[in-house]
Formats: sequence, C-alpha cells, structure tokens
Amino acid sequence: MNQWLDDRLHISRLNDKFLRKAFPVHHSFFLGEITLFSLIILILTGILLALSYEPSNSMVVNSFDPGTADAPNLVPAAYHSALKINAAPFGDMLRRIHHWTANIMVAASVIHMMRIYFTGAFKKPREINWWIGMLLLIFAALTAVTGYVLPYDNYAYNTLKVIYSIAASIPWVGEWVAQAAFAGKFPGDGVIPRVYGYHIMLLPGILLALTAAHMLIMIKQKHTQPQYAKRIAYKKIVGVPLMTQQTPIMLMLTLLFAGIIVLFSAFIPVHPVEYFGPPSTTPIDNIKPDWYLLWVFGVLAIIPGFEFNFLGGNINSEFVGAILLPTLTLGAMFAVPMLDRSRENLYYAENPTNHPVRLGIGVAFMMLLAVWSVAGYKPELISAGILTTENANTVLWIATFLVPALSYFFVQAVVRGIRALRESDARDRANFQAADD
Amino acid sequence: MTRYKRQDPEITRRKFINVAMGTTAAVGGVSLLSTLGAANPVFRLTADKMPPLEGDILVHAEESKEGRPITVADLSTQLVRAWAMGKDEDGNDVIRKGDPNNILALYRFPQGQLVAPTNLEATVDGQIVAYSDICTHAGCSVSDSDINAGQMRCPCHSGEYDPKRGAIVTGGPPPKPLAQLPIRQDGDRLVVAGFFLTPPYPYHNSEAEWNNVKQEVEEALT
Ligand code: FES
Repeated sequence: MNQWLDDRLHISRLNDKFLRKAFPVHHSFFLGEITLFSLIILILTGILLALSYEPSNSMVVNSFDPGTADAPNLVPAAYHSALKINAAPFGDMLRRIHHWTANIMVAASVIHMMRIYFTGAFKKPREINWWIGMLLLIFAALTAVTGYVLPYDNYAYNTLKVIYSIAASIPWVGEWVAQAAFAGKFPGDGVIPRVYGYHIMLLPGILLALTAAHMLIMIKQKHTQPQYAKRIAYKKIVGVPLMTQQTPIMLMLTLLFAGIIVLFSAFIPVHPVEYFGPPSTTPIDNIKPDWYLLWVFGVLAIIPGFEFNFLGGNINSEFVGAILLPTLTLGAMFAVPMLDRSRENLYYAENPTNHPVRLGIGVAFMMLLAVWSVAGYKPELISAGILTTENANTVLWIATFLVPALSYFFVQAVVRGIRALRESDARDRANFQAADD
Repeated sequence: MTRYKRQDPEITRRKFINVAMGTTAAVGGVSLLSTLGAANPVFRLTADKMPPLEGDILVHAEESKEGRPITVADLSTQLVRAWAMGKDEDGNDVIRKGDPNNILALYRFPQGQLVAPTNLEATVDGQIVAYSDICTHAGCSVSDSDINAGQMRCPCHSGEYDPKRGAIVTGGPPPKPLAQLPIRQDGDRLVVAGFFLTPPYPYHNSEAEWNNVKQEVEEALT
C-alpha cells in the first residue's frame, strides 16, 4: 500500500522535504508549538460551541425564566443560547476550555516572540517571519476580542460599546468605520451576526493562512540553531527529525498541555454569563480587558482628557490612547528587524548577554507595558489607598518613564557583571593551562 | 557592437494578456468595493430611538421599576437612572431606550449645593438635575463613585465627574462634561423641558452633528 500511495502522491518526496525536518533540541523551541496546538484546540472547541450558539441579538423569551404572559422576560437570542450552552452537559466546560486555551495561546506566542527577540532570531533571513508573527499576534488579539462579545451578556455589551466608540474615535472616518464594522449605529440590529462572522470565519481564516505561511517559511529557512550546535558541527543542521523523533515529544507535550488546560478549566470558572445578566444600562464595576490588552486600557486610564480639531477631524484622548499609541507600540515591534544592520545570514541563536543594548531595550519595553498594565488597575490602587485620585496620574506617568529607564540601566549593570565573571573565568583557565605546561 | 532592439509594431500577446487581466482585476475590485456600502445599513429614526424630547416624562430605568414615573421623593444625592418616555406615532407610550445612549442620571441635592457651571435654569428649583448618563469618553454608563463620595465615576477607564458642578470632568480621560438635560416639575412628575444643552454622547465631538439630529427629530415630528 505504501508503494501504491507513493506512486500517486510521492510521499517519499514529502518525507524528505518535510517529515525529516530537523528540530533543535531545546525547551525554548516548544513555545511556538504550544501556540500551534492551542490554535488547533481552539478551532475544535470553537466548532463544537458554534453548533449550539445562536448568532442573533433579536429578543426571545428566556426559557429558564419566562416571566408572565403579559410581561415576558425577553433576552437576546445570543445570550439565551449561551445560557443553554452552560446548562448542557459539559457545555460550561467547553466554554472554559475555549477561553483558557485562548489565553494560553496568546501567552505562549508572547513568550515565543520574546525568545525570538532576545536570541536575535528575527535577523536576516527571518525578518518576514517576524512580521508574519506580529500579524498573528494582532489578529489573535482581535479574534479574542470579538470572542468576548458573542455571549452578549452585560459584560460583552459594555465591551462592545467601548470597542465601537474606539472605532468611532478615528478622525474623519471613524463614525463610518464603526457603523460599517458593527452593522449600524450601536447596538445595531445585526451586530451579533456581524461579529459572529468575524469570529468564526474571517479571523480564523486569516489566522490559519498566516500560520501556514509562518510554518512554511520556517521549514524553508530552518530554525536558528542553538549554540551547542556550533560546537558539535559547525554550519550543519543539528536536531532531531520530525518523523519519528520529534513527533512523540510533540504528542507528549500536547497531552500534557491539554491536561493542564482541562485542569484549569475544571477549577477556574470563566466569564459567568448568568452573573452578568443580559445587556442593561447598569454599568459593570471594574470592567477590564484580558491581560494582553490591559496596557491599552491602562493608557486610557491615565491619559488626560483632551480634544482638538485638526483639519476638520476630531482628535481626542480616546483616539490617541486606544489607537495611536498602540499603533506606535506595535510599529516599534514591527520595526525590530529593520534596526538590525547585519548583512550575514544568522545561523546560531545569540547569547542575549552578548547584545546588551538589545537586551536592555527589550526589557525596558516589557517594563513599559507592565507599568501601563498596572495603570489599568488605577481604581483598585486608589481604593486600596496606595495612590490617591490627585496623585495617581502623576505617579503613573512618572513610572511610565522612570521604570523602563531604570530597568535598562539595571540590565546593563547585570550584563557587565556577568561579563566580568566570564572574563575572570577565562583568565583563571588560561593561568591553569599556563601552569600545566 | 550594435544593440538591436526589435521594434514590434503590434501589441505583443503578453502585453495584451497583462492589460486584459489588469482591467479585469480593477473592475472586479471596484465592484467588490461597492458591496462594502451594504455593510453599513440605513438608519431609521423611530420614536424609541429619539433623544429625550420636550414633554417626555422621566421614568425609572432600573429593571424592577422600569417604566414607572419618577417622583421627587425617589431622588436623593445617590444617582437614579432614568429613561424619557414619550409617545409614538399612534399615541402610545414609548420608552426611548431604542438608543441606549439615551439613559439619564438624576440627582437631588439640598438647596444651594448645585453650583455653576450647572445650568440652574434647567434644574428643578436648583435642586434636581438631570444629565446624560453616558460617559463622554467611550460611552459607558457612569455610576456613583465608590472611591470619592459625591463624585461620579465611569467604570470603564476611571473617568470622574462632579454632579454638583455641571458634571465637569474631575479625573480620567473624558474630554467633556456630561450633557445636562433641562427638566421641570409638573405635579409630582418630572418632565423634559427641551433638548440636551450640549451635544450628548455620541455627538459630543461635533455641534453640527447634534444640530442635524435635532433637526431630523423636529422634521420627523411634524
Ligand atoms: S468610557 Fe468612561 S472613562 Fe472611558
């Protein structure tokens, strides 16, 4: 049978080209794989959820609490179907798995990017894959945000409201963009079907296409080699082949990882739609986005209110905080490979301490996002008495500049210390050798 | 050496195909773009989506009491959420909550506590004041502050307003105070006395847009 298939599909060529792909042996190279597995779990659980979900915001009678004949208890159909999913056997569990996997996918991809950045793996010839990776990160976040909206409970409703108005805050075209994106003035009659289309068709399609491109390019260009490969066989690919050595490792990793997610889901509830209730005008206290968007939220919390007119367009704090600043931040990340001047192709993952400036800037950048994320907790900081309403913004703004700067210099100091140690080690070794002779 | 470049009097096949394909792609692209227009549905201004209008009665917005007229005794220094209730084309009562941005915040302060820039003319006896309850920042519903007593706080990005001073911004990102709604007392009911004094959310960015809305409403009513 193998022969039969091979005659038709040229499996042996596939085998040589793809299945024998060498994987470097180092745990940090698993992060990308975890991201990929998450995407697969997300698609599978997403399909199951979509089978029971009703993408509509028209009002239906709540079958769990119908009210009376002349005052029926009406809730949006999407919300109602979320209640039904929760009531179904394993339904709530399915939602939790979907939710936690999404969080872990973003977390794994962020750490994956950190690995790429700190080891210089974004350098020539892998710039394109860095950019595709950035797009993957952005679209993953967009997919997550559209996912929040679907249960259409009060939380989702308020989230949607903020997303709508952020879109509408774009100067000149904002109102049109927001209405086109969300099917009319907020909350349009067709907003849930529209967002549903994004969440289950458009965005996953984009994610899958980008993932495919990401991996094909990776296979073509090969992984960067870990440092030890240089010692074993200079300029040769060192690693274990996908078939059959890497596959069992991957399978084990997947199972372990799936186990962790299920464990999480079993004990940590997510987004209780019953608790938030259907959309209403009662605001939700301390509504917050997930951790990976908390920094944008933090910027919005500390940016002073302003607006001015620029050539007929309205530029306000919301646009600057929620669109302009994040665009600049992401732009800086996009630009990373362009700041690199090396002409040579990079074979070996670099030791971060050999590139102290890059290391320092990376750490400072992460600290900046951390400070902004903390700023997202401004109301909590104030009610806990750590800050006051008067000084909160000032303190957080000072931290915005100070903390990254300090961490940059701290990193430089540590790197210098490590180098000094390394040099004295080398001296000692040289002395020993001299004594031996 | 002479360079000889062949001058072809006729259009080459390759060129022809390229031009043909380019034209097709352009026409196809433009026609696809036209479908984008359908992405943005038309908006119909129905009675339930109109902003609070002169003569509307203020009713409770809280679920358990929704639709019940608000009396002076219901009000205090704690925020009370309200809808405006008017009539539709057939003369039936209609709560104007088709546009959730119509939600209102009502307060009653002891005499003398409400001060400028609140428009005292538009309050009841300088005691009862009505604001749009929609944060001018990104449109969340604003609540009483749990941190600073007597202030309002928006839960979305910690915008703060002072309800005694015309709901001016006292903290956070909102660009403008909440819009004040003129009200008067009629028996034991509270009645809307006109349009919002300043453009409410989501029109807070442009006076012109708000004026258009007012005009549209007036046209629809006559
Ligand atoms: S929506 Fe109120 S502060 Fe942002």
